[in-house]
Amino acid sequence: MKKVLLTLFPLVTVLLMVQGYHQAIYVAPDDAMQGYVFRIIYYHVPSASVAFLFFFISLIGSVGFLAFRRSSPNRAQIADAWALAGAEVGVVFCTVVLTTGPLWGRRAWGIWWTWDARLTTTLVLWLIYVSYLLLRRFAAGPQMQTLAAVLGIFGALDVPIVYMSNRWWRTQHPAPVFGGDQDSGMKDPTMVHALLWNMLAWFCWGMLVLFLRYQVERRHQQYAAIEAREALEASA
Amino acid sequence: MDERNILDHQFVVAAYTVTWVIQLGYLAYLGLKWRSEKRNAERKSRPAR
Repeated sequence: MKKVLLTLFPLVTVLLMVQGYHQAIYVAPDDAMQGYVFRIIYYHVPSASVAFLFFFISLIGSVGFLAFRRSSPNRAQIADAWALAGAEVGVVFCTVVLTTGPLWGRRAWGIWWTWDARLTTTLVLWLIYVSYLLLRRFAAGPQMQTLAAVLGIFGALDVPIVYMSNRWWRTQHPAPVFGGDQDSGMKDPTMVHALLWNMLAWFCWGMLVLFLRYQVERRHQQYAAIEAREALEASA
Repeated sequence: MDERNILDHQFVVAAYTVTWVIQLGYLAYLGLKWRSEKRNAERKSRPAR
């Protein structure tokens, strides 16, 4: 059953990607104001949504690690692996947001970047999680996972600020596509369908990569545990 | 196609390409990491001579 799922899920993801691309390029119409370049939204917005979701998974993992680190070390390691996987894959999606955004902005606004509330808070979010990954890569010792978990929790606090930023402060960035006021959002149902197909496709892609990253980290933890035990036995 | 449409098209192509380069690049990095962990595990499971 597990093997069937592991083969079927990537296949379904690829099919969803093809469908999403077809919807974005060939089915959805040009935007009345921005024209063809508006199609960047079909990769930009889903990437942002998936990044938020994965930072939330990282938050749950970090909280789980802190909760279980004394009572159940194995559970704590599992939670830590999810925290790391969520943060790393979240950074990848956030990088996509921060590169497709300026490309879209250059064409739509005539500028690559502006210190607008949404852009700035997203950049801060990316920097926080990059520092989380750097901490995990270069810090050593038993406190590293605890420090990373605390940083992961603080980083996740920025997610609702990024989400609300273009509701609280109306600056350069457009109003939200979903959950905004009556004047905001997409009016054409074909555009909404294209966006939802791409959201589903990128969500499945993200879950696939997240699961892979989690498995790599679990293997690494098991290998590190064996090495630590051998080192202890050798010194005894 | 007028000049505006050509430029729009180029920006969309650039955005989609950048997205795939980042995503596939990360997938390749994960593949390498996976292989390295697998090698480590195999080395550990081999009996010491």
